[in-house]
Amino acid sequence: MPQDEVVIDHEINLDELIASWDPDPSELSINAKYVSHFFGEGETKKQVLFDNVLRVRRGEIVIMTGPSGSGKTTLLTLIGTLRGVQQGSLKVLGEELRGIAPEATNELRKKIGFIFQAHNLFESLTAAQNVGMSTELQGLDSKTARPRIEATLKRLGLGHRVNYKPKSLSGGQKQRVAIARGIIHQPRLILADEPTAALDAESGREVVTMFQEMARNDGCTIVIVTHDNRILDVADRIVSMVDGHIRSDVLVKRNATMCRILNEFAIFRSLTPKAISEVADKMDLRKYSAGEEIIRQGDTGQDFFVIGKGEVDIEIDGKWVNTLGKGAFFGEVSLIKQQPRNATVRAKTEVACFILTKEEFQSVIDSSTSFEQELRRALFSRQ
Amino acid sequence: MSLRTPLAWKNLTHDRRRLVLATAGIAFAVMLMFQQRGFRHALFDSTVEIVRVLDADLILFNPTRFALSNEARFPREAIDVATSNHQIASVIPLYIENLSARLRVEGGRARPIRVLAWDMNKPILLDEECQIIPQLFKLARPGTALMDRLSQKTFGFDLSKTAPDVQVGELANKKIEIVGLFRLGTDFAHEGNLIMSLDNFTNYFGYRNPDPRAIVDLGVVKVSPGENPQEVAQLLEKQLGSQVRVMTKQAFIDREIGFWSRSTPIGIIFTIGAMMGFAVGVIICYQILANDITEHLGEFATLKAMGYRDRYFIGLVVRQSIYLSLFGFLPGLIASWILFWFNSNMTGLLTRLTWDRILSIFVLTILMCVVSGLLALRKLMAADPASLF
Repeated sequence: MPQDEVVIDHEINLDELIASWDPDPSELSINAKYVSHFFGEGETKKQVLFDNVLRVRRGEIVIMTGPSGSGKTTLLTLIGTLRGVQQGSLKVLGEELRGIAPEATNELRKKIGFIFQAHNLFESLTAAQNVGMSTELQGLDSKTARPRIEATLKRLGLGHRVNYKPKSLSGGQKQRVAIARGIIHQPRLILADEPTAALDAESGREVVTMFQEMARNDGCTIVIVTHDNRILDVADRIVSMVDGHIRSDVLVKRNATMCRILNEFAIFRSLTPKAISEVADKMDLRKYSAGEEIIRQGDTGQDFFVIGKGEVDIEIDGKWVNTLGKGAFFGEVSLIKQQPRNATVRAKTEVACFILTKEEFQSVIDSSTSFEQELRRALFSRQ
Repeated sequence: MSLRTPLAWKNLTHDRRRLVLATAGIAFAVMLMFQQRGFRHALFDSTVEIVRVLDADLILFNPTRFALSNEARFPREAIDVATSNHQIASVIPLYIENLSARLRVEGGRARPIRVLAWDMNKPILLDEECQIIPQLFKLARPGTALMDRLSQKTFGFDLSKTAPDVQVGELANKKIEIVGLFRLGTDFAHEGNLIMSLDNFTNYFGYRNPDPRAIVDLGVVKVSPGENPQEVAQLLEKQLGSQVRVMTKQAFIDREIGFWSRSTPIGIIFTIGAMMGFAVGVIICYQILANDITEHLGEFATLKAMGYRDRYFIGLVVRQSIYLSLFGFLPGLIASWILFWFNSNMTGLLTRLTWDRILSIFVLTILMCVVSGLLALRKLMAADPASLF
């Protein structure tokens, strides 16, 4: 069994890390469980989404990426109530969308801000009037709404264009009017499709800053589909989709913390930052109650454990050998070797462990044979 | 939501060029409807105009006379029988000759004209704008007649305002002098009208057997003051038996119009014509609205995504179609007015633009635009916000 005492940096807040795994369902703006979607009927029926699970907390900024046809747009339209949910469960702002009534759909839509790639402004209306179409629906009369509309347009650098019609606006200006229309009613969820694609760096940054403020101050949840690398830094979560599957769903902050933890261990140090990040992404959380057996001596090892909370007792042949606490790890041998466990590990208190399964670990390092050799050497030298 | 953005109005008036085109399209449809309705009414108005100008409570006629232009007559005795009732003030026989009355100027081709005759001493006409009554004195002389200035020009007579006082022609192969012009109007069965005294009528159409005066076309009845024409009509029907029918003036007019509108293809044709006008209007209006919707599909889909309800879109399209009908109606009405004036002058058909007819076309125009609006609405309903991402 591992005896090296790893001391995890005290700055790392393990409790917060654990909490990120298990958000309170009432905190979730988006809660998708095994959402699948099909296009077409009969023989031409084609599945475009496969059992997607996605949980987004209130106030989170999510950036969705993926090649075209990966299903991210479909998922976005499902979240936005613009398409009916066919399979699975999808809760948005606490409302189950599967089988939702049309009236409830309209009410829910009023709480969502849409920013489409095409600006879709009425040519016959001025910038302010176009934005006003949104406040009007919320029941705001134009007198109350007008100062707010002007302030928002001004913030987006359109103070001098308030009464211009779209014909006299540039593409970027039109896009900003559309953004103003999408956020003016202080939605609780913003769904944006390439909102910054038509914008220059400066106004793109301003838009993103506004998003951040709305997320932080008003708890507005924001989902952005984008390929714009310039705005990746605002993301709390990066969701990457391929072929209808969420290939990776990374909470940026959690991932960073996890990387820092993994970096404490010699066996991961030789990994490239990208590989570490991918391993970190594969880490899961498992909880044990006091007295529960975590691994049993003689079983085939499958998982690698890092203790996030609580203490465990190590027993060999029924005799206590050691007690490990927060930040310690065990079971790493199973990551590369098919060996029976050489000790039993039992939760002494309530325990939360970060877990990496062998398969997931294997899938990450498969690409990096040099790392495996490295690891073997490292393990060999220890014996 | 006190001050809502007038999106329907803005969208409609945004593009001036298109608005003008749309207005012209609707105006054209309005004109078509007016025209078809106008022809239809012209047919009816003109046909019954002669009855309309009669100062009559009741009309006596042969029950087999299915239309005015038909020459089924009844014996004069019936008039005498009717006159003998105290409920009746007067019964004046009206004589009409149609097919055998052929008129021409010298060197011209003879064409049939309707000849009307009655006892000139008896007041048979209402004082209408037809200018007959003041000229009746001219007809005392043998061989004279008044001519309808709306008669077909092909008769060869000068019917203008500057026409000579006396023009000479030939009626039923006898010389006739036209000594004055009046205004009654033609219809689909009659190309013109002549009015003459009963003496002259007997002279020209002596072959009406056995005595020209013994067979009457219509009996023009005035009931005694205080009598109910309806009841008198029933009494007379009983008294006169099966050879004569009695109807109030209005019922007779309705019967005549009923014949033309139901029993001849002519009325049906114009009904179809009016329907076509309506259909053309619906198509034009639909094109305009559907085009507008198609061009703004993305915007409308965005509104749907924002949470706008179907109700809003229905209201939007209906408002837009009503605006369109208002825009198109006025120019259509003016154009129709001008066209009617030309029509009247060229054909002699009476095309009256009465308020109730204007109103009915107006209602039809709104209906037309709203129908097409609702058709176009289906396009809008298909706007799919899911296609926006």
